[in-house]
Amino acid sequence: MPFTQFTNLDFDQIRTSIKDYLRANSNFTDFDFEGSNFSILIDALAYNTYITAFNSNMVVNESFLDSATLRENVVSLARNIGYVPRSKTAARAAVTFEVPTTSTSPLLSLEAGLVCVGAAENTSYRFSISENVSTTINNGIAKFGSSSAPVYIYQGSLLSKSWTVDASVNQRFILDNPNIDTSTIVVYVKGINDSGLGREYFKVNNILNLKDTSEIYLIQEVQDQKYEILFGDGIFGKKLSNGTVITVKYIVTDGEDGNGPSSFAFQGNFVDAANNRVIPSNSFSITTISSAKNGAEIENLASIKYYAPRLYSAQYRAVTSRDYEAILKNIYPNLESVSVVGGEDLTPPRFGTVVISIKPKNGSYVSDFDKYSILNQLKNYSVTGINHEIVDLKILYVEIDSSVYYNSSQVSNVQDLKTSISNALVNYSNNVDINKFGGRFKYSKVVQLIDKVDNAITSNITKVTIRRDLKALTNQYAQYELCFGNRFHINAEGFNIKSTGFYIQGHSEKVYLTDVPNKDSYGKLDGSQKGVLSVITKTSSSNYRVILKSVGTVDYARGEIRLTTINILSTDIVDNIIQIQAYPDSNDVVGLKDLYLSFDVSHSRINMVRDVIASGEDISGVSFTRDYYTSSYSNGELERK
Amino acid sequence: MAIVKKISKPFKDISLSFDPHPVTKDLPILTNERAIIRSVRNLVETIPTERFFNSILGSDVRRSLFEFVDYGTAGIIEDQIKTTIRNFEPRVDNVVVDVIPQPDDNAFEVSVIFDIIGQEFPTQQFTFLLEATR
Repeated sequence: MPFTQFTNLDFDQIRTSIKDYLRANSNFTDFDFEGSNFSILIDALAYNTYITAFNSNMVVNESFLDSATLRENVVSLARNIGYVPRSKTAARAAVTFEVPTTSTSPLLSLEAGLVCVGAAENTSYRFSISENVSTTINNGIAKFGSSSAPVYIYQGSLLSKSWTVDASVNQRFILDNPNIDTSTIVVYVKGINDSGLGREYFKVNNILNLKDTSEIYLIQEVQDQKYEILFGDGIFGKKLSNGTVITVKYIVTDGEDGNGPSSFAFQGNFVDAANNRVIPSNSFSITTISSAKNGAEIENLASIKYYAPRLYSAQYRAVTSRDYEAILKNIYPNLESVSVVGGEDLTPPRFGTVVISIKPKNGSYVSDFDKYSILNQLKNYSVTGINHEIVDLKILYVEIDSSVYYNSSQVSNVQDLKTSISNALVNYSNNVDINKFGGRFKYSKVVQLIDKVDNAITSNITKVTIRRDLKALTNQYAQYELCFGNRFHINAEGFNIKSTGFYIQGHSEKVYLTDVPNKDSYGKLDGSQKGVLSVITKTSSSNYRVILKSVGTVDYARGEIRLTTINILSTDIVDNIIQIQAYPDSNDVVGLKDLYLSFDVSHSRINMVRDVIASGEDISGVSFTRDYYTSSYSNGELERK
Repeated sequence: MAIVKKISKPFKDISLSFDPHPVTKDLPILTNERAIIRSVRNLVETIPTERFFNSILGSDVRRSLFEFVDYGTAGIIEDQIKTTIRNFEPRVDNVVVDVIPQPDDNAFEVSVIFDIIGQEFPTQQFTFLLEATR
């Protein structure tokens, strides 16, 4: 056999190749026997070949961003295209202090370093600041921060490292700790004529607009998740001269674990203008403006591999929606999913506006402060003349009403079977296909999933509904618009739209929303795919009375509901929520534009139905069609239950 | 019915001494019974897991060398050598292994007697000493 497969990574195959070669080209015969001397030589040869092949394979794999597996190499390859992986991010809390003092100094400073200790999940976390915070003393009270401009404390410990520049050797400035939040790094450079720590240098991400005198530094990740500080070379950025002292202060953090603490115990130090220690005259409390949040782990390899090429193609410019995805992830690490819609796609169009909807990792909404901060940072990347707007998440819930048939002879406990189905659905609801912008609920997958939960399940009839929650502005006249982004199924009889109960002004009865599709003079659907919303009340379990005939419109084709001016007094569900549901025309539901698709298992229904045919109780199917029958269509009830 | 007698090719192996032939300066080779004897010794002296990707090759006699030098241990060594030859050396048959303990020298004298399959050779016997190196 010719020796052709050079990339073989299997020891036995390499050995066989060598033996085949010897068989054809040598007088020796004993290499086939394991005990022979020749076998030992062949083993050595094959092992050598194997190691070489493995090494070449490894080297080639590690040379490309897609196939590299060692963090050091992935980071290095990402660096080649200008991408700096995100460091760990310290959880940040906003607090204010009011410190009573007898000090006669005009100023009081909170020293950099440990400030507070906060607890979360039975663990204490240290919170620090990287620079002194000073304030004036008025009437014996020093106020640090206010509700609009609080003091930000970062979870972690403040550390410091110094070097003296020695140009005669190849000097590298590497920070020794792996868990650094690079956004907290503060760099001081002390020249021969400077006092104190020297002048503060500022971080830049690229060399645009730099001069030979710019006092800047860059950061790059090196081995073992440590960071190296790079200074200018005299062309791009100021070059450091011999004997200069560099001091770097940085916070080493626990990342995501530090999220949560909302009350803090003070552990810091105060000093006056002359740098003397000041002890507050009375005990004082710390007011928490916002609890510790937005702590995140270091960017993982999958994320670096995904975002580095995207950020490179975005070139630090937010133009297409993909660019926004890459840039927003970079400036707001807590982002789980993002949807960016150009104003031209909105109805009515809003040219020049980009609407951004963000789902953070913990929670559903981005705080106002974070929105402001994201928009501010986004300005550095976006095209001039474009307005950005961050809108709150609009959740489109998908619910199912499933009748599951089971063979009673194979089931000992029906409740257990139901629980297994619920658990399987909950697992599916955490799937990546849903719970995101642009997600898609795949009906066939769910139906299959239910069937596969247990062998006892013989079939299931599953109906899909979509729901949005309308937050009512109580005791005031308001107009509402709800977009479902999915075409509604039209039943000519109406009752396509259902809601939970609520109360409106002028009527004491509990009312519900329902719809009447537009019809022509013959009483058939007129083809406009539109209808009228009515407010009705129940007079008995099956009868209803119309309270208001026209309170809005429904557009079945676009999946939109509009309520004209209405004064809602209260709602059945807490927090002034009215749940409004519709039947989608397609069982596969899509999260359109800024709609975040969520599969709501808690509001889904699972009805366990005995399959009497499969269990042998009813061979003819007579009692099955009479007593165990399930319709595949909507139930005709007027209210949402 | 004619009797078919299988005669195999001569066995030819390289010698790991690598001493060149005094006249031809060729590498030395081992043939037939010498090759097989060398192979059996290699198998007995190979410690399992020593060979790359073939962890079961070899025999465990080395472990037994630190036991008491008596007939009990000799019996175990006998079994180990027989099993190894049976598993990894298909060219021999009728294997008899005789292990005599030599407590004074802290060693075992091993005699292996076997027939070579498919070759017209007399019954082969070779003897070697097994002793603990430390």
